[in-house]
Amino acid sequence: MKLDAELELWRDQWQASPEAPELTGLRKRVARESLYMRMMLTADILVTLVIGGATIALALRSPRPATAILAAATWLFIATAWIFGLSNRKNAWSPSASTTSAFLDLSIRRSRGNLRAVKFGALLYAIEMAFCLSWLIHESGHLSKTLIIVVTVITLILAAALIIYRKRKRTDLNYLLQLQQDLTAA
Amino acid sequence: MNLSTAASLEAADAEPAIEQQLNRLLAENGPALLRLAASYTNTLSDRDDLFQDIAIALWKALPRFRGECSERTFLFRVAHNRSIDYLRRRRALTTSIEADAPLPDARPNPEAGLAQEQQGERLRQAIHRLPLPYRQVITLTLEEMSYTEIAAILGVTETNVGVRLNRARQLLRQLLENRK
Repeated sequence: MKLDAELELWRDQWQASPEAPELTGLRKRVARESLYMRMMLTADILVTLVIGGATIALALRSPRPATAILAAATWLFIATAWIFGLSNRKNAWSPSASTTSAFLDLSIRRSRGNLRAVKFGALLYAIEMAFCLSWLIHESGHLSKTLIIVVTVITLILAAALIIYRKRKRTDLNYLLQLQQDLTAA
Repeated sequence: MNLSTAASLEAADAEPAIEQQLNRLLAENGPALLRLAASYTNTLSDRDDLFQDIAIALWKALPRFRGECSERTFLFRVAHNRSIDYLRRRRALTTSIEADAPLPDARPNPEAGLAQEQQGERLRQAIHRLPLPYRQVITLTLEEMSYTEIAAILGVTETNVGVRLNRARQLLRQLLENRK
């Protein structure tokens, strides 16, 4: 069989496949995803404003060096988190118009960014906790049993979530690297 | 704000024009996209899910289309990228020529008289067993895309497209002939 005739035959067979299914609920799904993104963004801003605002309000209502330090440190932590978040995502947004090979590079960068974010999040949480607990001891002279239990439970839950998330992201990264290797080896 | 979030919100705001454009593109290319989705998935329901994911990705990507390539090239880029993301999420193993399951019988079934359909199904299953780089190139070729278009979709050189296509054809022939 001639090569082109072979390709033509395959084309005919390939293209004689069933019609595309009816797409239902597409608009609803786009709206739901957009709403979810708006909610995530609003939540980020709200957390910043509520926590940052509360420490400023406290510093204004009871102007002492300790409250001023608390407000300044809180805003420093918030700014650090935002700067890290933005710089970590800087080259990792989705250019859907890019090629598949570029998209794979991007997915790998995004995956590495997620792993960096896990490390950064854990470190920032440890520093914040150390600061907050020191501040509380300085203010009240001791830490209540209830507070210690609450902080321990929250820390354990967060640590477990971070470990699971990190494991998942590492598997993602390994898969993507393998896929990239398969694609470039061809 | 994350740039992808911004783009998605922009897409949602520009709904009517985007929706019209999307409907037109899907009407023209729906079957081709469905075949593409089938080449990345193992079951009909996964294929339909991926097809829907591709449609959503297109809806979000269309506002950023500036005509730097043909609409069809853009469409297939988005579709392939979404499919790669699907593989990551499912961590699907790329099927290879060593896959164990036999292809459907090449001999026509006289009772059903569905020889043509059978041949098509055999071809689709054989293509599905090709390693991903070859599968991508052969499916785009079967959708009547040129080397230039395929290179622009996958981000490889035209020479590489040619090399992959030759290898894909060899493997495909081997797979199909093994069952004759």
